[in-house]
Amino acid sequence: MTIHLSIILFMPLAAGVIGAFLPGRSGRWLVLAATVGVLAYVIVMLADFDRGRAGLQYVTNDRWIPELGIRYQLGVDGLNLFMLALTAISWVPCTLWACFRELDRQRLFLFNLALAETAVMGAFMAQDLALFIVFFDLMLVPFYFLIGGWGTGERVRATTKFVIYTLSGSLLMLAGAVALGVLATPDGGQISFSLAVLQERGVPDGTQNWIVLLFAVAFFVKAPLFPLHGWIPETYRSTPIPVLALLSGVLSKVGVYGFLRIVLPVMPDGSLHWQELFIVIAVFSILYGSVLAFSQDNVRMVVAYSSIAQLGFITLGIFAFEQKGAQGAVLQMLNHGLVVVPLFLIIGAIAARARGSESVLELGGMAFRAPVLAALFLLATFATLAMPGSSNFVGEILILFGTFEDKLVYGLVASVGVILAAVYMIRVFQRTMHNRVGPAVESHDLGGLDLATIAPLVALIVALGVYPQFVVSRTDAATTAKIQPARQAAAAGQTAARAEAP
Amino acid sequence: MDVVWFLILSAFIFCIGAAGVLTRRNPLVILLCLELMLNAGNLSLIAFARMWGDGGGQVFALIVMVIAACEVVIGLGIIVAMYRARLPIDVDEMSELRG
Amino acid sequence: MSATDYGWLILAFPVAGLLVISLGWRVLPGRLPGWIASAMIGLSFLAGIGAFVQIQDLPSDERAVVASAFTYASTGDFKVDLSILVDPLSVFMCLVVSGVSFLIHVYSVAYMTSDRGYSRYFAYLNYFVFSMLLLVLAANFVILIIGWAFVGAASYLLISFWYRRGTATHAGIKAFVMNVIGDVGLVIAAFLLLDKTGSLDYSGVFGAVDHAFSRNDTTLVIACLLILVGAFAKSAQLPLHTWLPDAMEGPTPVSALIHAATMVTAGVYLIARMYPLFEQAPTAADISAIIGTATLVFAATVALVVTDLKRVIAYSTISQIGYMVLGVSVAAYGAGLFHLMTHAFFKALLFMGAGSVISAMGGVQDLDRMGGFRKSMPFTFVAFLVGACALAGLPLFSGWFSKDEVLAFTLNRGGGYVVLGIFGYLGALLTAFYAFRMVFRVFFGDPVPEARELEGGHIAHHDPANPMSGESEDVDVGFPGEEHHIAERDWPMKVAMGVLAVLAVIGGYLQVPGVDDAVSKFLDPTFESSRFIDDAPSTAAQWVGLAMGGVVAITGVTVAFVAYRRRRGVTLELRDRFPRLHNFLLHKWYFDELYDAVFVRPAATLGKIGRTVVEADFVQGTIVGGATRIVGAGTSFARAIQTGYVRAYALLLLLGVGGLALYFLIASS
Repeated sequence: MTIHLSIILFMPLAAGVIGAFLPGRSGRWLVLAATVGVLAYVIVMLADFDRGRAGLQYVTNDRWIPELGIRYQLGVDGLNLFMLALTAISWVPCTLWACFRELDRQRLFLFNLALAETAVMGAFMAQDLALFIVFFDLMLVPFYFLIGGWGTGERVRATTKFVIYTLSGSLLMLAGAVALGVLATPDGGQISFSLAVLQERGVPDGTQNWIVLLFAVAFFVKAPLFPLHGWIPETYRSTPIPVLALLSGVLSKVGVYGFLRIVLPVMPDGSLHWQELFIVIAVFSILYGSVLAFSQDNVRMVVAYSSIAQLGFITLGIFAFEQKGAQGAVLQMLNHGLVVVPLFLIIGAIAARARGSESVLELGGMAFRAPVLAALFLLATFATLAMPGSSNFVGEILILFGTFEDKLVYGLVASVGVILAAVYMIRVFQRTMHNRVGPAVESHDLGGLDLATIAPLVALIVALGVYPQFVVSRTDAATTAKIQPARQAAAAGQTAARAEAP
Repeated sequence: MDVVWFLILSAFIFCIGAAGVLTRRNPLVILLCLELMLNAGNLSLIAFARMWGDGGGQVFALIVMVIAACEVVIGLGIIVAMYRARLPIDVDEMSELRG
Repeated sequence: MSATDYGWLILAFPVAGLLVISLGWRVLPGRLPGWIASAMIGLSFLAGIGAFVQIQDLPSDERAVVASAFTYASTGDFKVDLSILVDPLSVFMCLVVSGVSFLIHVYSVAYMTSDRGYSRYFAYLNYFVFSMLLLVLAANFVILIIGWAFVGAASYLLISFWYRRGTATHAGIKAFVMNVIGDVGLVIAAFLLLDKTGSLDYSGVFGAVDHAFSRNDTTLVIACLLILVGAFAKSAQLPLHTWLPDAMEGPTPVSALIHAATMVTAGVYLIARMYPLFEQAPTAADISAIIGTATLVFAATVALVVTDLKRVIAYSTISQIGYMVLGVSVAAYGAGLFHLMTHAFFKALLFMGAGSVISAMGGVQDLDRMGGFRKSMPFTFVAFLVGACALAGLPLFSGWFSKDEVLAFTLNRGGGYVVLGIFGYLGALLTAFYAFRMVFRVFFGDPVPEARELEGGHIAHHDPANPMSGESEDVDVGFPGEEHHIAERDWPMKVAMGVLAVLAVIGGYLQVPGVDDAVSKFLDPTFESSRFIDDAPSTAAQWVGLAMGGVVAITGVTVAFVAYRRRRGVTLELRDRFPRLHNFLLHKWYFDELYDAVFVRPAATLGKIGRTVVEADFVQGTIVGGATRIVGAGTSFARAIQTGYVRAYALLLLLGVGGLALYFLIASS
């Protein structure tokens, strides 16, 4: 039992609260220091992490609401280690951005950011289903205020849509979680929401099916995948850039992470039941997201729809029920976050050089006066389209290999998405950085702040491209363990089918 | 005396009060009728208290009277404010909370 | 140092150059970035020689050394190390690549001088060389794919180097996407091989291929065809060739390096490297040979009519790679790779000559506007002439030995391969013709104004204009602008062209039938397990082939001489006589139009449908709208109850309490 995770978890929130009451502009330093502190803590954890072990490390397990069997249970394994790292890494540049820009109500903005970090960290760390749901819904609160308070354009409509979508997903998940906890409790036993206990107890096959569906809706909305991505266009358009980077880079991962953490281990039969459907949804999301990204004029929306495609890949890898696929999905969760955050910050920089315009029709030719920006954008672009040599490529090839194994046709269809990704990402790069100078463009190179926020992330992308095994070696054991129940269920299903056949 | 008679009286007063609330449009009268209903309740509380021979019912009656006093204070305050603002003293005219 | 240590060094130098130039671009003055880049490639070439020496010292059956730096990614049966394979084939490729690259770097030092993107250019160029070397040194499929994609990316960056040109960026994206299609083909092929052989290392796959697959096993044939998709996309073979002519938008040295000498021949290298697979799946090898032949004839016909000087050479490249693909597909590995080497020399030379001419023309690339440069640019003329002779396969030049060796091997296989060989000779005839069409039209005839000016000591200047679209350039970016650099005046260019010209002549003597056999002998250890290792044609048969090739080439040159020198105008007559044929060839057999109609437009339409119909009507309309309507219906009912009348509320309250009381009464009784 250690307190480390609780420190990481509540450090940002504490700093946010105190910072909100500090006079003048000194509060921002406190919040910034807290995010950097979290990052430092996570880096130490990465170094200290026992990579061979599949089980949880740094566990905290305490009573919270004993009447309902809800425990304050945190832990880290290979599955969420890099999600925590991603959160810690992404929050630093975004907080930095918010600290040194002219923002009205800056302290409130920073408080919301800090609260959001705590909530996201909590959702990734939680090992108790009820605790997970608490943090999952807590994430919504700061983002509601961040989008509604500092957004642009039709922000009211955007926030409404965002909240209704995610909240209805969350409610369905809550219902599913309660049902799961109750149905899993044996007669006379004490109810428990601890994931380990739930996995041990299990629920009957038929019941699993609809509970999985309830969870899936919540996670698909969060991801988002087709057809539950309706909140994307408005929300992405009005969200301020650093918030959007976090929304797309980190928050979207909570959903797919939930599949691996909760759905697959606890309800393997139910997952198997819907496997085909979810794979179809994933593949369709890949194609649909790519095609739409291809036809967008707004740079932000291209990245938005490309995220749908990327999350489709991740979901595909998870539901391939194959070690390589799941491993690829875990790797890709990290990779996608790491490319999307700098991409959105770059888009912010682009808009700043084009009188706020983000339409490729008005952009172009920026590279000449902003070579550093162009170089960073180029690297991020190559990583996003999963060019071999990037870590994204390793993630994608593992996902594809895992899918080919049993679901060859779906894998082949999904690989079309790889080609389309090349088209739309290069197109965006070209039409902003290359070609003739666009009508709205007044280009100049990156300033110190932009460079400090973007360049380290891009450097990290390059480093991971050289040595992806750094991630894979730490996630491998846990990922394999998490999909084991589902693989067994799948194997049992095949044996049964074979026994029936003759 | 049998407790039934008290209850019959209480019910009778309650109905008068309820009918007043439902039919009258002057807020002052509605307030009066509300008082009637509350006191009808008080009557049955005290009657039951007597029947059982303990003080519980009487305590409740006292609480109800306190609450009634508060209510009258607020209600009269609102009515005075309406007079001041020269609004019509008619509850049917005050339907701005319509959905 | 061992051979693999040299292998790592080969890779390390270009990376060092890339890092130094890209991090120091603000401070490196003048031509220094160019010289740094050239030096790094030179060192890489020296390291290649080191590896060559080391590997020659090993016994011939141990000349394949693998070294692994670290585990790149490993999960389940997917085990990939960052490892390199040093064997005769990879050393041969390294020497050709780094050697030719070095000369082109030196040429570029002068050629690109007045360009604003000087440092960027050399950073890209070093990145390219690193990628290409990684590709040839890779010891497993994943590293191969990485190198494969890296060269594609470098090619993209250099094609759209002058990025303010719409045509350049368009050509860049085309090349990039075609290359990605090839990458995906390779990825799927790698999966099929991993699935059946349980390994991604060359050694593991090749070792298991004989017992994992029966001969012509369907899976293996499919895997080989997918490898061919990768190879053909990179090597611009039918039907994935359309990007290469457009790639000529890049600076001319880039065309020489990437789109002639090295990168585009990677497909040939790949087929040679995968020979154990192709020999186990002869169907795939035959398909490859047929496509190679079809490409070489097709591209040669187009080269007859195109009037853009660089595009003529580009189509010639496609055609020559067809010969190489034919060679390695019919198991003439030594011959195919020999042609790869000689082609690298003479094609790079031709491009350099063309670059010099284009500079002299002030950026104009149209053959119709050129002429009579023989006197004003004697050095360029000689160099270009040597290159053209080698390309045409005139006897005693390098192309003669290499190309006709490929064809001799093909004929020697007998059966249907004879047909392919005959088409090969037809292609050779066309090649000789268009090679000298360029020579006669550029260097002979009456000097054009630019040539006259040059004779007077001035270089022509035009307003910078895009040679393809004719629109005026955005001069901010800097095209070879105020200062043109032509080979006659700048010594680095002269040196590079001189060395290549010498190589284009003597390169062929490495492998003269019956005399010596250096290339094949050096490569033999790599191909020792080939089934066709002893199938080489006899010396006599090879000489017969050379003689036939020589006759064909001389015929072609003679026809060109007649058409462009003796009876000028005969080509115009032909054009007017067969306008349809001319148009057909001029439109490059309408491949671009076909792809536009079949892929590009449907994709765009699909995107539009997705955005308007699916997104607007289905997602926003049905799903979002449906949810809103359900919520809306619920709220309108709730609103109807809220009348705002206190009495109504009171009544409802009363009814509710009464109802409850009634319920309890009934329930209790």
